[in-house]
Order: sequence, then structure tokens, then C-alpha cells
Amino acid sequence: MNKFMEMLENVLMPIADKLNNNRYLTALRNGFMVALPLIIFGSIFVVIANLPFLDQVLSEDAYAAYQSALGPASAATLSIMGLFVMIGIGYKMVEGRGGEAIYGGVVALASFLILTPQVVEGVGGVIPTGSLGAQGMFLGIFTAFISAELYQYFVSKDLTIKMPEGVPSAVSRSFSALIPMTLTLSFFLVIRLLFSFTSFETVQNFIYTIIQQPLTALGSGLPATLLAVLLIQIFWFFGLHGQIIVNSVFDPIWYSLNDQNLAAYQAGEELPHVVTKQFIDTFIVGIGGSGMTLAVIIAIMVVAKSRQMREMGKLGGPPGLFNVNEPVIFGLPIIMNPLVLIPWLLAPVVVAAVTYFAMSTGFAPKPAGVIVPWTTPPLLSGYLATGNNIMGSVMQLISMAIVFVIWLPFIKLLDKQYYGEELKAQKD
Amino acid sequence: MVNILLACSSGMSTSLLVSKMEAEAEERGMEATIWAVAQDKAAVDMKKADILLIGPQMRFMKKKLQVVADEEGIPLDVINPVDYGRVNGKAVFETALELIEKNKK
Repeated sequence: MNKFMEMLENVLMPIADKLNNNRYLTALRNGFMVALPLIIFGSIFVVIANLPFLDQVLSEDAYAAYQSALGPASAATLSIMGLFVMIGIGYKMVEGRGGEAIYGGVVALASFLILTPQVVEGVGGVIPTGSLGAQGMFLGIFTAFISAELYQYFVSKDLTIKMPEGVPSAVSRSFSALIPMTLTLSFFLVIRLLFSFTSFETVQNFIYTIIQQPLTALGSGLPATLLAVLLIQIFWFFGLHGQIIVNSVFDPIWYSLNDQNLAAYQAGEELPHVVTKQFIDTFIVGIGGSGMTLAVIIAIMVVAKSRQMREMGKLGGPPGLFNVNEPVIFGLPIIMNPLVLIPWLLAPVVVAAVTYFAMSTGFAPKPAGVIVPWTTPPLLSGYLATGNNIMGSVMQLISMAIVFVIWLPFIKLLDKQYYGEELKAQKD
Repeated sequence: MVNILLACSSGMSTSLLVSKMEAEAEERGMEATIWAVAQDKAAVDMKKADILLIGPQMRFMKKKLQVVADEEGIPLDVINPVDYGRVNGKAVFETALELIEKNKK
């Protein structure tokens, strides 16, 4: 068993290392981090704009006025999050190469806007906000990668205008960016022109049709989702941070699915997707942390007799309420513990499948596209993530019950072992 | 006066450890600055630290951060998983002191 574990760890460590330290994935993750405060600001106002019962208390006109007064809060942040993500990526990419980061941010933004159609239904001089949100997410990410790399490449080739000594450094800096910027942006202008001769007409359309749509279709399906959930659990079993590794691949997909749900939610239409960022963050990981260990702690508190287990429950309970569960993972321990491997892998996968079917059939509401911070306690998070729907909390409660039942026999087994050891130690 | 930096994915779970380690430092009557950061901030904060300890779940970051730690001339270690799980501030604090001491020699 130990040999086998060692072998697996030797396979997983390099994967974790590669995924986490890859410069593009690091920039991507940091790009989302830059956008996160804005996303959460927008989410808060979606929640406030859709408070329950308000539509019954207020007159129809007053309710519409109330909603449109709060509208800009999310329209300027959450709905166009792709914009902030790509600025963040460009910034972090150039920063990572040791260049002047702010130029990375603006070159990414400008390159993206060059590729973006600036006509809506015949009206010129406008930028469709849809392309700055979910629809343009993938193009934005690729553009940010390429533009930042190109820009920094040109800078490193010293294609800069050298200023004579004595020129203030700020002045010479502004010129040093000029040639790399010009070359990079011209490159994207050419790309735009080339695409205008194809049947796709715009790069936006090309990336959306060829890459984004197939990927999100795959990512919104149950098989890919179960695989992602299982991978998170496997990494954690070896004591490696599963989400941070899996998220760096899945986040672009999950976030763009999320944005499509938000757009539908705000338009009062049927929500298109079950699997979104919030499906994972609120309905799987967000029930006590990875592996949904809040229900495990409850099981411990209910049945455990050994001192070691009860201590663990007390220690893991309070942080577990906020989805921080490293004490349980390393303390129970879950890592490398063959006794709990089965419930550890099984419970989240079962919950993911049950939640998926419950949401598809309409028993439980789908995530409304509101981003709830991952440290929000369960039940509250389910309520908020589904657009103030109590059935979201009910769904989380059902999931906790499932985890509880799956884990209970294994907790008893583990407890029996610890309790026996403790009794023996006392006798000795 | 010791400066101990802890890092994990977002600085949440290591911050659990921080308060336990501070309590241990106080008990010993030692002056210590102990703080937890997200992994991305670790490289910058290392400039102010005498040691960096990373959460075991982020041990795949070690190789990358070791480069920075060597530049700064401070020791780096992965926190023992058992101590991490039990939030054993005392043990982690002791290890930190030992490593700082060893580094001085």
C-alpha cells in the first residue's frame, strides 16, 4: 500500500507543480484575483436588487425603478468581469517577466478592444458590453497572454527609443513603451483585418465558436464536472491543495458559464446552466471546505467516543463553518489514510451528481450567477448563490445529510480504533 | 525578535496557526511577529521575514519559493502535516526557532 501511495504521489507532485507554477496559469489565477473584489461588489448589489418579497411590497413601477437604480453596480463590474480579468492577466504577465506591469495591463486591454467589434446593430462607436463579459472571456484571456508576451518580447529586444541622459526617467519610460506598444497593437490590428475576410468575420466570433463554446459545453456537462470534483479529492488525499490546482484549468469555463446565468437571471429568463463557478464553490466545496467536511465534523460530534476524535471535532468545527478545513484534512487525518479513502472520494461525487439532477429537474434552483465569497458559511451561501432562494439552502442541507450518511460507518470504524488505542494506553 | 512568515493558498488556514504560535511566543516572553499570507504574496513578504513556513498542501510551491529564500538567505520549510492538522502552534514555533538558529550558524 505504501509503495503504491509513494508512486502516486510521485506522479501527482509534478502535475501540481506544473499547473501551479506555470506562468500562464499563474497569471490567469492572479487575473481572476484582481477581478474578484469587483465581482463580489457586483454580486452584493444583485442580491440587494433581488431581495425577496420586495416585488410584492412595492408597486410594479417602484420595483422597476429600484432595480434600475441599483443596476449599474453589477453592470459595471460583474457583467463585464472579462475586462478586469484581462487587465489583471496582462499586468501579472509583464510583472512576471520583470517588466513595467501597468503597460502589460493596458496593452492587453487595447489589444482586446482592437479585436472587439465596435458596432451594434448598425450603430457605430459603441462597445457591446456582452463581449466584455462571458462572451469575450476566452478571447480576453488569450489576447492578454499574447499581447503581454509580445509587448515584453519587443521590450527585451531593446526596440526602444533611447533618451539622452538628463531626461527625467518618467519621460524616457513613456517613450520606451512606445515602439513595443505600437508593434503589439499593430499585430492585433492585422489579425482583426485578416479575420474580417473569413466567414467568422470577427476574432471574437472565431474564438467563441471554435474554442469557447465547445469547451464550455464540455465543462457544463456532468462527466467533466464529476471528473473535476474527483481530481480535487485525489489531490487533497495526497495533501495537495486540490482546488487551486483544478481551478486554474476550470475557472475560465466556470466563470463564463456563471456570467451566462447571471445575464439570464437579470433578464428574468430561464437559467441556462447548472454547472457554474458557484455550483462548485457553493454546492460542493462550500459545504465545509473540500470534501464537504462540515458534515464529517457533525458525524464525529454525534458518534465519536475517542478523545482524539472529539478534540478534532472541536478544533475543526469553527473554521469549518467558514469552509476552512485543513485541520480536519491533516488532523483526522484524511491525507494518506486508506481507512477514509472511500467516503472521501465518494461523497462529493455523489453530492455533485445528486445536486446536478436536483437542479436540472427544477427541484432545486440553479445558481443565479451571483458570486458568493468562498468563506461564506453553508446554508447562507446556498441562499445567496441561487438569487435569494431558500431552496438553495435546502439543497445544501440535503447534501450534508448525504455526506453524513456516507461517512458515518467510517467515522465509527476510525473512532473504534482510536478509542481502543486510548483505552490500551490508559491501562498501560 | 523573530519574524515568522507562514504561507498557504490564501493565507486562511495558516492564519489559524498564527494565533496559536503567538500565544506560544507570549508564554515564552519572546517578541515575535508572526503573519500568514497567500502564496502569491510570499515572495515579497519574505524580505521582512527570518523564516518562511509553508502549509503542507502547498508543498509543490517549495521549489519555486526556495529560490527566493536562498536569495534572501532565510530558511524555508514545509510545516509538518500532523502539527498542521492539530494546529500545534507550540511545535511549529519550536521548529521555526530551531531552523532560524541553525541558519545563523
